[in-house]
Amino acid sequence: MELFDTAMVLTRVMTSGVVMSIEKSDRELPGLERLLTKRTKRSHAVLVNSRTAAVHAALAGQGIVHGDRIPGGSLSPETRAFVNWLGVETTGTGAPAFDEIALDAHVADSLPERAAEATAPAIVVDLTGLGFGPAAAVLTDDPTVWARAERLKIFGAHDLRTMWTQEESMPDLVPGVQFNYRLSPLVAACARMALMQTARKNVETGARL
Amino acid sequence: MISDFPRAPLPLPDEAEVDSALAAHGGPAMVPADRRRTQFPVITKEDVFTMLLAQRQEPEKVVAGFTEAYRDYVGAGYALPTASGTASLHMALAGAGVRPGDEVIVPAFTFIATAQAVVAAHAVPVFVDIDPLTYCMDPAAAEAAVTERTAAVMPVHVHGLPADVPSLRRLASRRGLALVEDASHAHSARIGPHVAGSIGDAAGQSLMADKNFPLGGEGGMAFFATEEGYRRAVRHLREHGIDYRMSWVAAAFGSSQLGRLPYYDAVRARNAELLGDSLERTGLFTPPHVPEGWTHSYNMYRIGLRPEAVGLGDLDPHAVKAAVHELLVAEGVPAREWQNTPLPFHLPFRERSGFGRGYPFTLSPAGSREYTPEDFPNTLRMLDSTLVLCRELRAPVEYERILRYRDAFAKVAARPDAVRDLAARQEVPHPYERAARLG
Ligand SMILES: Cc1ncc(COP(=O)(O)O)c(C=O)c1O
Repeated sequence: MELFDTAMVLTRVMTSGVVMSIEKSDRELPGLERLLTKRTKRSHAVLVNSRTAAVHAALAGQGIVHGDRIPGGSLSPETRAFVNWLGVETTGTGAPAFDEIALDAHVADSLPERAAEATAPAIVVDLTGLGFGPAAAVLTDDPTVWARAERLKIFGAHDLRTMWTQEESMPDLVPGVQFNYRLSPLVAACARMALMQTARKNVETGARL
Repeated sequence: MISDFPRAPLPLPDEAEVDSALAAHGGPAMVPADRRRTQFPVITKEDVFTMLLAQRQEPEKVVAGFTEAYRDYVGAGYALPTASGTASLHMALAGAGVRPGDEVIVPAFTFIATAQAVVAAHAVPVFVDIDPLTYCMDPAAAEAAVTERTAAVMPVHVHGLPADVPSLRRLASRRGLALVEDASHAHSARIGPHVAGSIGDAAGQSLMADKNFPLGGEGGMAFFATEEGYRRAVRHLREHGIDYRMSWVAAAFGSSQLGRLPYYDAVRARNAELLGDSLERTGLFTPPHVPEGWTHSYNMYRIGLRPEAVGLGDLDPHAVKAAVHELLVAEGVPAREWQNTPLPFHLPFRERSGFGRGYPFTLSPAGSREYTPEDFPNTLRMLDSTLVLCRELRAPVEYERILRYRDAFAKVAARPDAVRDLAARQEVPHPYERAARLG
């Protein structure tokens, strides 16, 4: 992405004063969620702060927990180590528990096609390669996967933008172990900009750096 | 352009307003409804420029440069940047040598992340009560909870006041335990010259954007006294394929904020002192207790209530608190209940499913221990009889704003009759009998 465009995005978000992921008035995280759901044609996106957080959310979202088993064939050694750390064995057979798509500036425009080929109930989209630090998302059509994954990343809360109580109408959606896997709005804003540029590569950006 | 610049200034305080009708009774609010927003964090042109410079550097260098600057500020031996405070606590525990199935003693009163980080380390949190004055882990209660499976004590420097680390250190040495700080509220807080984060064998600290020392979004820092501890944490990440890395965007923001942290700390200390002096004079309210030699960082400012001092000693403390709370909020003072339930009664610690099928709670007898509210009398008493200011003291608010908060407390304290009326009219459950508020 052009340095100038990143600078514009960073300055815009910092000027707004809203840099906190739990801020009600944040528009950057929902903006990236919308872009990702549109590009992947999935109904729900869960933004998180790393690829491994997305793997965790994809599994926990499907109710795959400690003591369960998933097919490990397609997993990288690091991912397998992480899944094993969650207590999930990687010796199962059958369809993969999640598909993985890693994006960087060069292949970001392939997201729609790759999402169309994905068949698992959840896609882990790694946005780290875009260059703004660890960032990822889980894309799914399953509202339960989405609801559980959202609660995993923010201590059982319903969503990012409310001050919350733990009064939960659906306690079985609340994960036992809970993390702070929240993505920063500044990172989300930059990632969104990078993804948008892949769709309009030839448009003048205002800089020739 | 969307900007956080305030639209209008607050009017200067006027002594006559303290005697005006309570806002809850239709009088003028001490802080008018359209001037209540407290901006935090403060973002300046230095922050923007530092961010733009960082864009042109190697991301790893941005994070490493920030980490080293902050490690040096805290005075810790080693530092590991993380994506969140929770991740930093997990790393602190791993670095301190906590292993699956170990027990870690934590206070029952803290944010849920303290105990969830213990679960993340595949260990079992054991909850103990707090000290009634400092609201931090009670060392005697911690001592009573030690078993042969205890690997660490993890005090939290609640609201920014360092816990009684000297006592806990003696306990840890005597029983061969690691001492791990949760310094998430305690940026720049000190015991003597020692900055929170540098006192334990390891420490974790949240640097998310609503903390005294804010990064550009989410972040945390784990500190280690020894190279061995640091290496153990790094190895833990590698072995288990965990990505807890901090974004350079968050780090760049921290680099410029760090330069201004002493300024903001000084403003917080000044405002806390100003408010504390005037609260003492109200009779009804008491400021936070700070032991001699301790430096509070005022991430939150917990205000005690003394109903008996204004002739309300016959009422239930929590009913007085609820009434006072309502009157203060009407005046435009956003006093809060931050956490109103001891942690063992939050859903994840009642159910204890952990990573699934009860892991790691199933690894230790402490994992099936049933707690009752009576195990935490000091926590319950505190929840019944105190209120908290959060951003209102954390942010370097305008002088006229802190004066107006001061006046609002004086105005409410001068009306025990109104407090009594309100308390009599409402059936108020104890805080811990309501939903467990996280924040
Ligand atoms: C005492 C305490 N510990 C840990 C944390 C977790 O930090 P984070 O939200 O950065 O993961 C918090 C956060 O808010 C906290 O208040």
